[in-house]
Order: sequence, then C-alpha cells, then structure tokens
Amino acid sequence: MDIILGIKLNDSVLIATSKAVTRGISVLKASDDKTRNLGDHSAMAFTGESGDTVQFAEYVQANLKLFSVRQNYELSPKAMASFVRKELATSIRSRKPFQVNVLIGGCDINKETPETSLYWIDYLGTNVELPYAAHGYAAFYALSLLDRHYKPDLNEEEGIKLLQLCNKELSTRMPIDFKGLRVKVINSQGVKEYDDLTAL
Amino acid sequence: MVAQPVQKVFPLTLKITNLPSSNSSRPWRIPVRIDCYLSHIKMAGLSFDNFQRNQYIASKGVAMPKATSTGTTIVGCKFNGGVVIAADTRATAGPIVADKNCEKLHKLSPKIWCAGAGTAADTEMVTQLIGSNLELHSLYTNREPRVIASLTLLKQHLFKYQGHIGAYLIVAGVDPTGAHLFSIHAHGSTDVGPYQTLGSGSLAAMSVMETQWKENMTKEECIKLCADAIEAGIWNDLGSGSNVDVCVMEVGKDAQLLRNYITPNIREQKAKSYKFKKGTTAILRESIYNLVDVEETEIPVPMEVDA
Amino acid sequence: MSDPSSINGGAAVAMVGKDCVAIACDLRLGNQSLGVANNFEKIFNYDHTFLALTGLASDVTTLSEVFRLKTNLYKMREERSIEPETFANLVSSTLYQKRFGPYFIGPLVAGINSLTGKPFVCGFDLIGCIDYAKDFVVSGTATDQLYGMCESLYEPGLGPDDLFETISQAFLSAVDRDALSGWGAVVYVITKDKVTKRLLKTRQD
Repeated sequence: MDIILGIKLNDSVLIATSKAVTRGISVLKASDDKTRNLGDHSAMAFTGESGDTVQFAEYVQANLKLFSVRQNYELSPKAMASFVRKELATSIRSRKPFQVNVLIGGCDINKETPETSLYWIDYLGTNVELPYAAHGYAAFYALSLLDRHYKPDLNEEEGIKLLQLCNKELSTRMPIDFKGLRVKVINSQGVKEYDDLTAL
Repeated sequence: MVAQPVQKVFPLTLKITNLPSSNSSRPWRIPVRIDCYLSHIKMAGLSFDNFQRNQYIASKGVAMPKATSTGTTIVGCKFNGGVVIAADTRATAGPIVADKNCEKLHKLSPKIWCAGAGTAADTEMVTQLIGSNLELHSLYTNREPRVIASLTLLKQHLFKYQGHIGAYLIVAGVDPTGAHLFSIHAHGSTDVGPYQTLGSGSLAAMSVMETQWKENMTKEECIKLCADAIEAGIWNDLGSGSNVDVCVMEVGKDAQLLRNYITPNIREQKAKSYKFKKGTTAILRESIYNLVDVEETEIPVPMEVDA
Repeated sequence: MSDPSSINGGAAVAMVGKDCVAIACDLRLGNQSLGVANNFEKIFNYDHTFLALTGLASDVTTLSEVFRLKTNLYKMREERSIEPETFANLVSSTLYQKRFGPYFIGPLVAGINSLTGKPFVCGFDLIGCIDYAKDFVVSGTATDQLYGMCESLYEPGLGPDDLFETISQAFLSAVDRDALSGWGAVVYVITKDKVTKRLLKTRQD
C-alpha cells in the first residue's frame, strides 16, 4: 500500500513517497525514505516486496555511481531508466526475481536546454516515459486527479499544489495512514529534499 | 542386496585382420574413438533461461498462451514404384483459423518429404534442422540421403526432448533402397506401413484408407486415395480445412510437389466492395519519410603531422 | 495476474496493397484495467523493414532492442539493410531459441523488398511459427475482432490511399470492441520510396 507519485513540470520533476513502513496490521515506522538518488540530477522512488526494494535500489545506485566514477561522466536519466529496466527485465527471468516497481525522475543537463523526464518502470521490466505517474493502489486515486488538473507547463509551486491535492484525496480514501509524503524536487540545480509535503 | 540394472558393455574395439606384418596368431585389437561428425546434430542454441521466469509467472495461476498448432490431417500411402504424402492447409490457434493456406509438407532432402502435425513451429524447426543435418550427412558420405536415416535422426532428436517438441510426422521418400513410408510420434516412437494417417483428422482419413486402400496401386490411384483421405479430414474434422497439398515421390524420378492440388474451399467473390472514401479516417498528425539511397564517398584528408 | 500476453493489452495489423503495405498499432499500455500510458508505440523499423510487437510490454521492449542489435550487426556484415523476408526468418529463429521459455509476444513483419519490389507481410506465434499471408495478418488482444474486420473489409490490389482507409477503419472498429486496446493509433503506409506515418484520431475510453 506504499504510495509513490511523480509529476513532470516545466523545468523540474517532483517525486513524492509515503513515509510509513507497514507490516500486517502494524505501522513500524513513520519516517521512511523510499527514494535513492541515482546521480546529481536524478532520483528513484521504489515500492514492492520489502527487502527487495532497498536491495535493488542500492544495487542500481552503486552501479550507476561506479559507471560515473570509471567514465567520469554521468548517465542521462533516459539511459539510467533503460539500465534499470534491463536489470528488472533480466531479473524477472531469474530464480528469484526482484519484486520492485520504480519511478525515475531526472534532469538531463547535457541537453542544450536542460530536459526533465519521468519514467515509470514495473517489476516485469516495462518502461514508459510519462508526464505523471504512480504505482500501486495510489495510482487509481491519483491518476484521475492528475488527468483532470495536469498541464505540461506547471511550475514548481503549482506542482506542489497538485501534489497536495493528491495527498488530500489519498488521505481520505486509502485504508491506512501512510504518514504523509516525502518530496524530492529534481531540476538542473540538483535534487532538493523535503521531509514533508504539508510543510511546503 | 539392491538389484542392479542389467548393463551390456560393448568394448570399443575394432578388429583389423589383414595387416601384412602381423605374425601374431591373435587378431589386433586397437581402441577407436567414436568422435562422430554427427556431433553437429546437437542443437546449438535452445535457451531455457526464460523457463524459470515463466514457471514463476505460471505459479501465480497464469494460463500459458497457446502456440499455433496444426490441428491437422496428414496422410501417406505407397504405390507401385513410389510413395505419396498429402496434407490439408489449415493452421489453428485455439478455435481461430490462424492461416487458411499454410504449408505442412516439408522438404527434408530433394526426394524425402515430410508431412507435419502438432505444434506448427516444432514441425517446421525440427524438419529444417534434420533436413540440414541430412544434407551434411549426404555431402560427407557422398551418397543420396536415405529415408531410414532421416527417420532415425528425427526419432532420436524427438526422443531426447521427451515429447516436449510436439512434432507428429509422416516421413516418406525414395532412395537407392526403394520407396519408404514411416510415421513418427512426438515421443520418438515410429511406425512402418503401406499407408499412414496422423493429426486430429487422422480418424476420418484412416476410415478412407481402410476402405479404399488396395495392394499394388498405380500412382494415379494412390494420389486419388491420399487426396480423398485428406478431404475426409477437411470436411469432417474442425482442426483441418481449406486445400489439399500432395507430394509424389517416384523411384528414379524427381519428387513432385503438387501445392494446392485440390482447392474445394475458394472464397466466393464479394458481391460488394467495402472501399472507403478518401478522408474517412480522421488524422491528428502526418509525417512523411523518404527512403533514399545513401552513397558513401571517401575523401582523402592529408595526415596531420606534429611539428 | 492473468495471461502474460494480455496484461498490458495492445493490438496490431498489417495489410498488403498494390505495390504497398500498411501496418498499424494502438498506443495503449495498461496494467490490467488501469491505463498507464497512451504513447506506447508497438511498431519498430529496421530501415525499410517494419516490425509490430504486441503482448507483454517488457518483452516488446526487450525484443525490439534485440532485433535492433541483430539488424545492426547484419548491416555491418552484409553492408546492406535487411530485407523483410530475411528479417522474418531472423524473428522466427530468435523466437524458437526460446522454445521452452518463450517471450510473450505476437510479432508482425511488413515491408517491401528493395530488390524485387514485392510487398511482404507475415505474422508469427510466440515460438516463431511463421504465418505467410498474401492479404493481411493480425496480432494482440483484439485478434478475434481484427480477423473479423479484415476478413470483411479487405480486398486485394488497393493503392496506398485506399489501403490506408481500409486498414484504419478495420483497426479502429476492432480496437473499439477491445477494452485492453486503443487509446490512440498509428498507421504506417509503406511504398517503395516513401513511408507515411499517420496518427489517428481515436476514442479515449
């Protein structure tokens, strides 16, 4: 029941993730971080089987870091998404596949004008570039709101407003308290992190 | 005591009897390696790495998708001085007719042909593989390939895969030893006989064979019998349909493929044209690409030399 | 989870015309009933040879990349682009390599042979059995509907413009009766020296 959302804006990408860790009927933690930075200008949010998620995210993070150290050059968000997709597509054919769904938000600073992008990748290795995306049950509630209110030229402030709209709906409709949303804003300056959406 | 399986051990030795300098009363026995050129036959590349993934997916209660199967009628029959095989031309995927005029008669070698029923991809691929190995074999031995050799190659391959390669075949052909007709099942068993039928329409076809077949038929009688047997399948079996393909292999002659020998199911000309007026379909965006030839020219560039 | 080849949804069709071929696909990518993307194209081209891939989206992407690799290597060895007939055999053997653990896809190949000028289309099952057709081939979750539409609307010898209307109308009608397909469609009309790509106006439900 984890919530991960992503919205692409005119010059940034927002990634919002729920802070709760739940096991059965218990909420074990209220300050969880379901994201990892894949580089200076990209971050990945993840949900899925506990254990698999962090293991996979940090495996990917480490490999992309290794690449950038060796080659003295950071992969574009598109290339990172392609790499993550391939990892999941090969994993699904293995004895014990990673059950991880991810969103990757990034800003390609090597383009003439910095270009933001958001990728939706599931555990089967399905990869699509989208203006806004969500995984899990949250998608059913959030996507209809985003369909209605999204515009491609939203700025950061308007994007946050849209996230708050989603948060309100999800708080009302989701069956358990997900302990608020942690937000990452990715733009050409890098990745900014906010502990809670409501504080913005 | 635990019962042990009986094993027969054949020592790998070769008798050489006419060595000129041999004065020993004992015949020479020297070990011989059986490194056969036939080792090419092992398939280079069937990859099983998606197998576990699919089992995993299947374990979540998923039905696997259906492969095209040739729910088929195929027959074969010998005549005086040759052999005929025939097949219908319908390929199905579940209840859907996937191909209305497919080819189920496969060439193993110029004078050995094979009719296939079962999983369509398997009949096609196993037939291509054994066909190519048969050609290598005939090149190596400098002899025309024999039907019994293709039968052995096919049955050993199919047995190795324990029926998972779903190919049911009727093999026929002519070679220096005469005309031959066999059938093979997916598990590797084989049958010999003057007439054979296989596939979902085999019962309908066999009923024709059993009533009409006689000894010492002429080529024409044999072709007619085979075509009639296939037609029985076409009309009475849902898995078979469309046309009749025939292949005639006569001793001392080139094999003759009679593609669409009978076409009893031609679609009636449509009474009306359903052409649409230009502009019927609404378009949001159009982009045109021109396919052009690209010519590359080398331009000599003087080499830069450091001063 | 149900059948892997109908998790994401999607449909494709290819038709032969007079000195031309057309190939079309929808743009939907879904997760069961939830529509995820309306920009997921299922047609790929390797120079003048076109390939449509329906089925499990992960395998669609994987295979399109595999064939990009293989056709690039082919081009370097042969110093020419791959012809549709040759490509069909490449697809067939690539799929049969995974006979006992197949990719969950339904490919179609369409193109015009650059040497003979002959139009060519064919379809495959998931383990690489080629379905050579002289008229049309279909694939995807709207297969049944597409067979019905094509069987009634298709006629031989259509020119590029007529073929476009016929394939588009057949495709749209079929896809509108399939809940898992739609959300936009693209049609390629291919002649010997020109390729026209058209984005169709479709229902969005």
